Amino acid sequence: MTKNRTEVADIDRSLYDFSYGEEGFERLDAGLTPDIVTEISQRKNEPQWMLDMRLKSLEIYHRMPNPTWGPGIDGLDMDNIVTYVKPNTEQKNDWDSVPDDIKDTFERLGIPEAERSYLAGVGAQYDSELVYHNMQDTAAKMGIVYSGIEEALQEPEWEAIIREKFMTLIPPTDHKFAALHGAVWSGGSFVYVPKGVKLDFPLQSYFRLNAKGAGQFEHTLIVVEDDADLHFIEGCSAPKYNVANLHAGAVELFVGKRAHLRYSTIENWSKNMYNLNTKRARCEEEGEIEWISGSFGSHVGYLYPMSVLAGRKSRSSFTGITFAGTGQNLDTGCKVVLGARDTSATVETKSISKGGGISTFRSSIVATPAAEGSTASVSCQSLMLDDISRSDTIPAMDIRAKDVNIGHEATIGRIGDDKIFYLMSRGISEEEARTMIVNGFANPVSKELPLEYAVEMNNLIKLEMEGAIG
Amino acid sequence: MSTISPADTLLSVRGLTASVDEKTILHGVDLDVAAGETHVIMGPNGAGKSTMGHVIMGDPVYSVNKGSIFFDGQDITNLSCDKRSRAGLFLSFQAPVEIPGVPLSSFLRATLAGRESLEMKGKQFRRRVTELARELNMDTAYLNRELGVGFSGGEKKKVEMLQLLLLQPKLAILDETDSGLDVDALGVVSRGMDAYRKSTDGSLVIITHNTRILEHLEVDRVHVMVNGRIVREDDASLIPWIDANGFDTFEREAAAQLAAERETANDAAPARDAAADAVRAAAAGLGAGMVQSLRATLDASGAADASANASADAR
Amino acid sequence: MDALVIKNANAMPAPTWSWLKMNDTKIAVPAGLERDCQVTIEAAKDLYEQHASFEGAVEELQGRVDAARGDAADDRAIIRAAQGADAGAADLDTPALSAYERRTALSQAAGDISADFETGVGRDARAYLNFLAGGTAVLATQPGDEVEARVNVAAAPGTSSSASVDIVAAPDSTFDLSISLDAACPAGQQAFAGSTLRVFAGARSHVNVTVYLTCGEGVTCVDDSGFVLDEDARVNVRHVVLGGAFTATGLAADLRGDRSRIDISTSYLGAGEDVRDFNYIVRHRGKKTECNLDANGVLTGTSKKILRGTIDLMHGAKGAQGNERETVLLANKGVDNKTIPMILCDEDDVAGNHGATIGHVRPEQLFYMGCRGLSEQQAETLFISAKLEDAALTAPTDEMRDAVVRLGRALVPDFEEEIA
Repeated sequence: MTKNRTEVADIDRSLYDFSYGEEGFERLDAGLTPDIVTEISQRKNEPQWMLDMRLKSLEIYHRMPNPTWGPGIDGLDMDNIVTYVKPNTEQKNDWDSVPDDIKDTFERLGIPEAERSYLAGVGAQYDSELVYHNMQDTAAKMGIVYSGIEEALQEPEWEAIIREKFMTLIPPTDHKFAALHGAVWSGGSFVYVPKGVKLDFPLQSYFRLNAKGAGQFEHTLIVVEDDADLHFIEGCSAPKYNVANLHAGAVELFVGKRAHLRYSTIENWSKNMYNLNTKRARCEEEGEIEWISGSFGSHVGYLYPMSVLAGRKSRSSFTGITFAGTGQNLDTGCKVVLGARDTSATVETKSISKGGGISTFRSSIVATPAAEGSTASVSCQSLMLDDISRSDTIPAMDIRAKDVNIGHEATIGRIGDDKIFYLMSRGISEEEARTMIVNGFANPVSKELPLEYAVEMNNLIKLEMEGAIG
Repeated sequence: MSTISPADTLLSVRGLTASVDEKTILHGVDLDVAAGETHVIMGPNGAGKSTMGHVIMGDPVYSVNKGSIFFDGQDITNLSCDKRSRAGLFLSFQAPVEIPGVPLSSFLRATLAGRESLEMKGKQFRRRVTELARELNMDTAYLNRELGVGFSGGEKKKVEMLQLLLLQPKLAILDETDSGLDVDALGVVSRGMDAYRKSTDGSLVIITHNTRILEHLEVDRVHVMVNGRIVREDDASLIPWIDANGFDTFEREAAAQLAAERETANDAAPARDAAADAVRAAAAGLGAGMVQSLRATLDASGAADASANASADAR
Repeated sequence: MDALVIKNANAMPAPTWSWLKMNDTKIAVPAGLERDCQVTIEAAKDLYEQHASFEGAVEELQGRVDAARGDAADDRAIIRAAQGADAGAADLDTPALSAYERRTALSQAAGDISADFETGVGRDARAYLNFLAGGTAVLATQPGDEVEARVNVAAAPGTSSSASVDIVAAPDSTFDLSISLDAACPAGQQAFAGSTLRVFAGARSHVNVTVYLTCGEGVTCVDDSGFVLDEDARVNVRHVVLGGAFTATGLAADLRGDRSRIDISTSYLGAGEDVRDFNYIVRHRGKKTECNLDANGVLTGTSKKILRGTIDLMHGAKGAQGNERETVLLANKGVDNKTIPMILCDEDDVAGNHGATIGHVRPEQLFYMGCRGLSEQQAETLFISAKLEDAALTAPTDEMRDAVVRLGRALVPDFEEEIA
């Protein structure tokens, strides 16, 4: 049988990967060993089950291959992982190590000098400590637990809940970077909202993360009990600067019966970042998860928040935007499992490619045989801002239930010349006109964000759009 | 009440109460239609006329909470709609539902399959359908197109009338509530009704709020429906009266009746329900004075409610 | 002959998560089949006698494409990234490419029509089908000709047969081709029927291809095709897939010539334990090229279906338009329906749309049909018989019509009566 040309090309590439990869693995093996993982665990004074989980994850990590379908990760500097996770190594946390483009962005976003270093995660932390503690106190009065996950692990009451749920939604076997996360996770938030408690202001993890200096492998575990309500905001719309160039966090969200959780994120990493983040929510009967997700920054991004609709009439909505500029390959989207009767899911995404950047929308909608009476609708729109960029749409649907209705719509295209002409004929410059149209395109996401975040997202788009004209 | 004796009654609806999403739309409706008669159900928008047609046909969207429907001597209250169809009931739609992938002719053939007196062999079927299409002035090319997909308003009406003539039901309910009633559609429906009456001795129940469609038609009974209740029955002479006076009088009477019921009611809650119904009717387009009197009704029931609460507290 | 498994068949160009098991398929050719050659090709004798070949036509087109190509090197970041090693975060202006993005960028840089040529099911399957066929029939037209040809592949139980056909449509000619894979092999016995087709649609030519798969329950069917379209060529394809235990249908089209257009309409039915596997790849390379993919299917029993549709709007395809639409009716609880409609886009002045509607008969449709006396089950049967009737009424030949009626009789009671 003749060999398929494609296959030959694949083999060539894997050989090539091998010579590079082997070297990487060796170094990694030398660096990331059971001893180091054990040391991390001991320093944190963790229970035995957590150490066992870390060691098991490490083994899986070494065994699992890299993903073959997504953006290249050959350029990922695995050294940094070791540097970061080794308990002995000091992080370089000074302003000089912040890349110029980040400093420049702060400048242009109009953030006062004093706050810049703090936003970059390298400055004094007093302000954020204060905000965090205020938030924590108010929440505590309502019976809500909002703390670092490591602190929570030290409390027997919360340790039991964490043990029951930790890495059950995202098992280390899920993919290579989930396994890595399981082995070396550090920092992150634990939120517990008791039955019937409804918090009327959003909890913002940004302040917590910075206050505690956590970063690359943080684990967020949120339990919203029956009839409770929470809005959680992760990160911040200002760029996050971190020393390591790999981010492999994990977010596990448990939404109880009739409970509601809105999880908003603007991920805006520095442009050397490989962002391989995993987020997942499970909803019980009539529970609802709402994802608001913005992806900016990063050299490479893999991000697909997943909703597992396990309870009857549970719901998921996903609203996302991705902006891929020069040098970026952002592979984003979402996954939904319709796993019970009468569940429903909506997905609305926007992606923008510019300056040679690549944006891929990737999704999966799976309806199990139990999903009778369920509905899902997916809508994705891609905007090409020039002819040197790329935008792909790869939506998969696997439907095994009968009484379901699944709809999918996608369009791809550029800004119509007529629109630009119309705005320019009213005295608006071309750059302004384009920015205006792109902001309008992004509006479904920004309108879901709290005002200050929406404003900053629009500013970010404005920054990205600068120099878009010839 | 109808004057006909039960023995002649083809359709007999008794005390029918029906709801959708826990909201009651029909409140204890009675209706008797004898074989060969033509009845008209009239009333303002939102009175429940279309619901009535759908419930008689067995639309699973509605739940029957009380009452019964007898057709041709058989209790059909719990029958599925296909069995009601095969028993000889027919409901015309404003427009057929779009069914992509199914050509009209395949659909028509399937509706006839298994009906003793109507089932036809291939050629016979084609001939019959072509004949009827011609009678309705319908382009036979539509027979090969997917049901309802891309049909004009007039063509959709023709499809409904074609089925009426093909299935020859014992009783046809023609729901013309929201009909645009342009000249084209009106003509189609009139032609369909004429042909139906001529070819069968079937009964007709016409649901409408517009009297134009009833010209040239011998009507036996007129039923006026307001707020999910039949509030008036009379012979055809009622039609020109409604033409001249509209439904305002009936609505006022209905509201007054509700108010009276409230006064005699011991329990405050049902009265409030009725008042809320009345407010809905008000929203459907009554005069300002009417709304005021409804407010009064509501306030009164609110007071009754409050006193009920007070006594509960006292206990 | 030993059992043979053709791997990586019907592979989509841009793969996704492997756990979905949608990236490609394996075709298991039943063991112990006798290689046979029950293939008939009906075509006017002079179609065989042209000294044209698919390769020759491609080479001629390559010459014109090369001549029209500017000297300026393509220095886009994607091309740079594909040609060099992944510098990782050290070079922030060059994106890190996926394996697919690298392949497609390299293909664009090379612009080699012959190397880019692909068929939908894939190279391994094509090689096997060519082996079964034993030789390729080359049918070519003269400019301005209007011709037709019919291909019939039958396979008796216990045998395997395949056709291999090249069509070279000269400029301004019209070619109507029908292919029938029809092996009346009952369940419990096995057979294999296949066809592999290459089409070069010359400038302003019209090529119409209709393929009917009406095999019996014991048959594995593979329908493989690849198209190259020159300027202003118009190709219409109809795939009607009604029978066969396992069917793989794959089509790849290279819209190389400016303003070329392909319209593909697929109608399928899955019943019993049938497996329907489709792969469509349309590469828009020429300016103002257009494609329309329209699929419509009914699944019942415990049948499985996957439909991969890729519209690839490649760099340089200014003004291109690609549309993709699928409607699937799930008429039974046990069915498994997979759909993945992809748009890949490397150009800004383009329009790509896709949509899919998957579902059961809607409640208002059921009520309407109920009002006319159809039970839920009768309503479901109606969708199936309507599909078969449509296929019978629009069959290009009497033999293909008879094959549909034969299948219909097995699936719907009184079917023959219905289309009389």
